[in-house]
Amino acid sequence: MLAFTLKRLAGVVPTLFILLTATFLLVHLAPGSPLDGDRPMPAEIRANLEAKYHLNEPLIQQYGRYLLNIAQLDFGASYQYKDTSVNDLIATGFPVSLAVGGFSLLFALVIGIPLGIIAAVRQNKIADYLAMGGSLAGISVPNFVLGPLMILAFAVYNDWLPAGGLGGWQNYVMPVLALGTMYLAYVTRLMRASTIEVLRSPFIRTARAKGLSEMRVFVVHVLPAALLPVVSFLGPGAAAVLTGSVVVEQIFGIPGLGRFFVTAALNRDYTLVLGITLFYGIIIILFNLVVDVLYGWLDPRVAYR
Amino acid sequence: MHKGGRLRQAAKAIIGVLMLATAAGCGGDDTGFANRLTPAIAADGTKTLRYGNQTEPGTLDPHQASGVPAANVLRDLYEGLVITAADGQVVPGVAESWQISDDRRTYTFHLRSDARWSNGAPVTAGDFVYSLRRAVDPATASPYADIHKPIENAPAIIAGDKTPDTLGVTALDTHTLEIRLAKPTPYFLQTLTHPSSDPVYEPAVEQWRDSFTQPGHAVTNGAYTMAAWRVNERIRLKRNTHYWNNADTAIDQVEFYPIEDSNSELSRYQAGGLDWAVTVPPADTARIKRHIPDQYHAVPTIGIAYLGLNVRRAPFANNRKLRLALSMALDREIITDKILRGDQPTLYSAVPDSVRDYSPVEYDWQDWPDDKRQARARELYHEAGYSEEHPLHAEYLYPSGGVGKTLGLVAVAMWRDVLGANITPVNQEWKVYLQTARQGYDTQIFWGGWIGDYDDPNTFFSIFNSEAALNYTGYDSPAFDAAQEASSHTPNGVKRTALMHQAETQLLHDAPIIPVFVYTYHQLVKPYVTGYAPSALGNYYTKNFDIRPVEAGR
Repeated sequence: MLAFTLKRLAGVVPTLFILLTATFLLVHLAPGSPLDGDRPMPAEIRANLEAKYHLNEPLIQQYGRYLLNIAQLDFGASYQYKDTSVNDLIATGFPVSLAVGGFSLLFALVIGIPLGIIAAVRQNKIADYLAMGGSLAGISVPNFVLGPLMILAFAVYNDWLPAGGLGGWQNYVMPVLALGTMYLAYVTRLMRASTIEVLRSPFIRTARAKGLSEMRVFVVHVLPAALLPVVSFLGPGAAAVLTGSVVVEQIFGIPGLGRFFVTAALNRDYTLVLGITLFYGIIIILFNLVVDVLYGWLDPRVAYR
Repeated sequence: MHKGGRLRQAAKAIIGVLMLATAAGCGGDDTGFANRLTPAIAADGTKTLRYGNQTEPGTLDPHQASGVPAANVLRDLYEGLVITAADGQVVPGVAESWQISDDRRTYTFHLRSDARWSNGAPVTAGDFVYSLRRAVDPATASPYADIHKPIENAPAIIAGDKTPDTLGVTALDTHTLEIRLAKPTPYFLQTLTHPSSDPVYEPAVEQWRDSFTQPGHAVTNGAYTMAAWRVNERIRLKRNTHYWNNADTAIDQVEFYPIEDSNSELSRYQAGGLDWAVTVPPADTARIKRHIPDQYHAVPTIGIAYLGLNVRRAPFANNRKLRLALSMALDREIITDKILRGDQPTLYSAVPDSVRDYSPVEYDWQDWPDDKRQARARELYHEAGYSEEHPLHAEYLYPSGGVGKTLGLVAVAMWRDVLGANITPVNQEWKVYLQTARQGYDTQIFWGGWIGDYDDPNTFFSIFNSEAALNYTGYDSPAFDAAQEASSHTPNGVKRTALMHQAETQLLHDAPIIPVFVYTYHQLVKPYVTGYAPSALGNYYTKNFDIRPVEAGR
């Protein structure tokens, strides 16, 4: 297992290198320049700025310069937010994204897993219909509809929660609900399907035949097996929650990384786009690694090679 | 099919539940428009004014910043030699008084002796010398360097041919500053109200470099100074206790929230999280006017929205009649009254009416009845060589987001109806649009807008000079250039007005642009904010405001 983890970690560097190179090429190939603004600069001033940012050099030279900085863990200065560095922007933005994304995921798991189990155990009964109906609604309503509706209901017409921004824990309630609802629905359905499948397996029948208590059958035999699909969803799911919060961050005015990512791309803020891409790349790879390790722990059939 | 039905029903159910919660909140109040009046006054009496501020400023360095959101913050942080009153008039800032020499080329400013930086150091003439040199220094690469071109040697310094210390700015003594101009410039004082003319504190700039604007590093001379800056969340300013007029400053803290989505901004305003909103969603304007008319302010700004025509290339090169035909075919009243619905004045000139002390030249056909105007447009279209059988084929380029799309679609329909022209709207993402427009090769008809930098007609005429970087149309008229340049060096008076009218008449005659409407700010200001007076320049200073809670029951 240790050898497997180390081997996977060794594969991270080339993956990141390819990711970085492709992103570097793509952002530089995109038409438009970080220096284009609503007020065009006289040619001489533009030339000064291009020299300052080394944009007048051949692309390969710019790339070499960038790699050299990355090797020293310096993501460089942001083109758009001139008074601060990409490192600082990621350092302030990521904890916010992590909080919103993390709590959304937690919300989805803590409610979704029991709900899925109940639905599976009470299959085709009223509880099942309620859970499935609710999750269908959760999947159907996109967060850009749910968010503004919640703001109207809980902030504008009732003074229960703040309409946006950061402050206390109250500011996180609506963003977490808006972001987590869809994943909650997804986890519920996943959990229900896998529980039903496991309950019908021969090894469960065997366990019951051995005379184990229903509780023991469920906790020791059904649960670990039924959780597997949810665990494998966690890797890409966590990444999606972290990167997919852009809309929610925009609606609620939260300074998370997702918002930086989108504005950076629109502003052609080369260094910020590259910095966040690399950062997300690392996070996603690590998450997948953790999931793979977890998978083997839950399912003895998985061998680490 | 069955699945789709269930999906839809489920969605309806959720929305229904939320609607119920919404309705429950309204209670007995039948206005249906929640609008909480909860000013931010802390228990110890600390007053905070909270502004919506659209986008996050890229920088708060006065010599690097551009855009309205940055200027809004900078006005509270720094004070220039002169500032503006609500009506646009230039009034004393750090300079208590000034004299202009008889040849109108030398300005002598007398600085307040009690002006202080936020660390207590006096604001001196030397600070302004340092700052203006920094503003034109090629190493600073300021996007607004060219606003200082009237100052002696500034153009050569910007181009890198002379060193910044040759700039025509001298400290005669600690509190006397002399600025020499290359030529008399009637709008020079107006350029000094721009953030690019603000002073910066040399020791802080030299010590902290790019981060001298950050809280803890920043030293400012305005009524406020930096307290906190969290990118994409808020900028918070606190009172500068050393400000010369601190005693008359009522509000203790200022917060600027970057909220790009106007619906989100309105929610925050209604929920009581903002005291001042800078945008209003067009769809909500009617409702707002009905429920809170006293909080809604539509302020025509010194900014123009126009459609540009690329006169370098076919079909618009050397075809004045075609350009004019397109301009005349537009029904601007329909665009402003029916489509935009934000009280924007229509525009038939290059300079908006909101500019001080100038009455623009306007197209005489603005008052014609629709059929007469349209008939004339068709006539010009035919004279230009186009007809039903040979209609004009062209592209209209507009950037994503903003009003360019709506306006373009309406214009395209009007051109089709009135002229039979076949115009295709083409959308490009903002940065791509800027590049295409700047290069001026692929554009034919394009969305254009310009908010003036200072309150003088020259801020509009100068962008159509053949040399101007912003001249995306490629308009190149020696007659216009001559009149514009002469007017920018003639003292205010009858002669200058005549020159400006000459320039504007020429521009309207040549029609490289189709003026459409006057940019209008839409503000929502809570009734407990006192001291508000609309400003066409959008120059609001928080030091002029106060927060006085209104009596309960509203």
